[in-house]
Amino acid sequence: MADTTKRLIRFTPIQRLWHLGLIFIFILMTVTGFAWMYVETHWGQTLASWFGGIKETVEIHKIAGLVLLAGFVLHILYALCRVDWSKFPGSLYSPDLLMMGIRDFGKMIQHMGWTIGLCKAPRFERWAWWEKFDYWAVWWGFTITGITGLMLYNPVLTSDYMPGWMLNLALWIHRIEAVLAIGHVFTIHFLMAHMRPGTVPFNGAMFDGTITMSEARHDHPEWVARLEKNGELEAMSVPEPSVPLRVLYFGVGYIIMAFAVTLLAFAVINITAVTLL
Amino acid sequence: MLARRLLVAIIAAVVTIGLWPGGTTQAADMAQGSQGASGYFSNSDTLPGSYKLYIQTGIGGGLWGLGPNRGPVKRSSFNMDPHSEVRDYNDARDCKGCHLEEARDMHTVRMGITCRQCHVSLPIAGVHQYYSPMNPIRRHAYVCAKCHEGATPSFAGFVIHEPTVLDAIAEEDFPLLYYAVWFMLILAGGVFVIFLPYTGLLLIREYAARLFGRSNNG
Ligand code: HEC
Ligand code: HEC
Ligand code: HEC
Repeated sequence: MADTTKRLIRFTPIQRLWHLGLIFIFILMTVTGFAWMYVETHWGQTLASWFGGIKETVEIHKIAGLVLLAGFVLHILYALCRVDWSKFPGSLYSPDLLMMGIRDFGKMIQHMGWTIGLCKAPRFERWAWWEKFDYWAVWWGFTITGITGLMLYNPVLTSDYMPGWMLNLALWIHRIEAVLAIGHVFTIHFLMAHMRPGTVPFNGAMFDGTITMSEARHDHPEWVARLEKNGELEAMSVPEPSVPLRVLYFGVGYIIMAFAVTLLAFAVINITAVTLL
Repeated sequence: MLARRLLVAIIAAVVTIGLWPGGTTQAADMAQGSQGASGYFSNSDTLPGSYKLYIQTGIGGGLWGLGPNRGPVKRSSFNMDPHSEVRDYNDARDCKGCHLEEARDMHTVRMGITCRQCHVSLPIAGVHQYYSPMNPIRRHAYVCAKCHEGATPSFAGFVIHEPTVLDAIAEEDFPLLYYAVWFMLILAGGVFVIFLPYTGLLLIREYAARLFGRSNNG
């Protein structure tokens, strides 16, 4: 089959760059955040010592947070540019965009039904419901940790605009939301992205920007059908990326994932030593 | 003429009698304290003993009563030396031995700050004692500003010794914190309790579909 060597473009270079940047800053936020949260433990102090002490670690956490928020703002501008405003608001639900619609919830229910063997599998368009969920989870997470993080950036200044005890709230919300985000990314997101039968052991789609034609037909049949109908399939097809490149992101990807999962494991082991909980 | 003087005298007498015995009420305190004063500082210019005014200008409450410091206050908290009647107390003893709950705050456990860096007076004053450095009218300046440049009264409203957040005590003492933390925990916990097993189930289903040749797309 010619199908298996041809690949379909799924992500643009900008999207891949942003995802790559997100990986590095997210890991950096996790390490520095855990260092602060676990500073009472030996493990927390080890993490802090990588940055030259806990003061420096918290400083880096704050600056990395600002960089992350700046990236988020740029992403929002980018996303707004991707909308075809001449056909607004219908174009918001264009299948190439990640907007959640009623149909996604329908397919989600159907897909859950399929999982427990109740009905046929839904035929997904370009994005499956969990991919859209994953995307919007980042919005939710950045909004919550971003607002509370900015509040904690300069507590004295913040308390000019609200009672000081709002910082108690901000600290807890920031903490819980961050742990939720970390836990989600390092378990559910890793599993869903890399461990599904069509992609195991490593899904390079976010790194070379393409997926195999057979995987596309299997997971996103309506997308391929739409491209075929509009005669866009050929234009969206590219040859396989080079082997050295694939070896590179496979290796780096696994190192990062192993590191992330180790962090999570240490966090779980040490959780009882955190006095504030 | 006489009638008019009489009227003034009666009014003056009524006003005086009306105010005189009310020495313990806040209004009377202010009236006494503000003779010849501008009144600009009447909110902070109180006399010892008028807790009511203290609590009004104090930190907490706020936001429809969901803010902090709503729990009961011990009598000893109004004392110059709350330890005066505590048996076995002496200044050299480790505070944590008796105040385990208060030793759980972030300044103590994370930043290694000692109790006395904040509880500065000797003898250590009750936090509601009028002349205590912890009085909200001066806490920011006497305590927080030692380390936090530019600390304001609002900043000093940060609750240093948080109640254990998931406890019923927190619901009484700082309802907003209690509800916010429970909300976030249920949300976060819910995501894991539902989606982690679901992810496992989905993977099993997908592998089964591949292995036994039942196609994904129906
Ligand atoms: C022997 C046990 C003991 C030791 C040691 C001790 N305390 Fe206390 N402390 C008490 C008791 C009992 C009270 C009275 C209030 C109560 O019943 O909780 C009290 C009250 C206080 C209060 C006033 C509480 C309020 O509500 O305003 C402060 C502040 C305080 N202690 C700080 C300290 C500090 C700081 C140290 C360490 C130098 C210390 N204590 C050591 C037993 C102790
Ligand atoms: C960063 C400053 C700071 C440090 C450090 C600190 N306290 Fe306090 N403490 C306060 C403030 C402010 C209050 C007033 C109530 C509040 O905000 O929790 C207070 C209140 C108290 C009270 C009154 C009861 C209560 O919980 O509100 C006790 C008792 C107390 N502190 C004991 C201690 C002990 C013991 C230590 C050391 C382990 C300690 N404090 C360390 C600032 C501090
Ligand atoms: C002895 C020094 C000292 C005193 C006194 C002190 N703090 Fe702090 N506080 C610190 C340090 C150190 C930090 C760590 C973060 C930083 O460097 O800003 C901190 C952090 C904080 C934070 C931010 C927590 C975070 O995670 O970013 C708040 C809010 C705060 N303090 C409130 C207070 C209040 C309110 C008082 C007065 C009742 C007070 N502090 C008194 C030393 C102090």
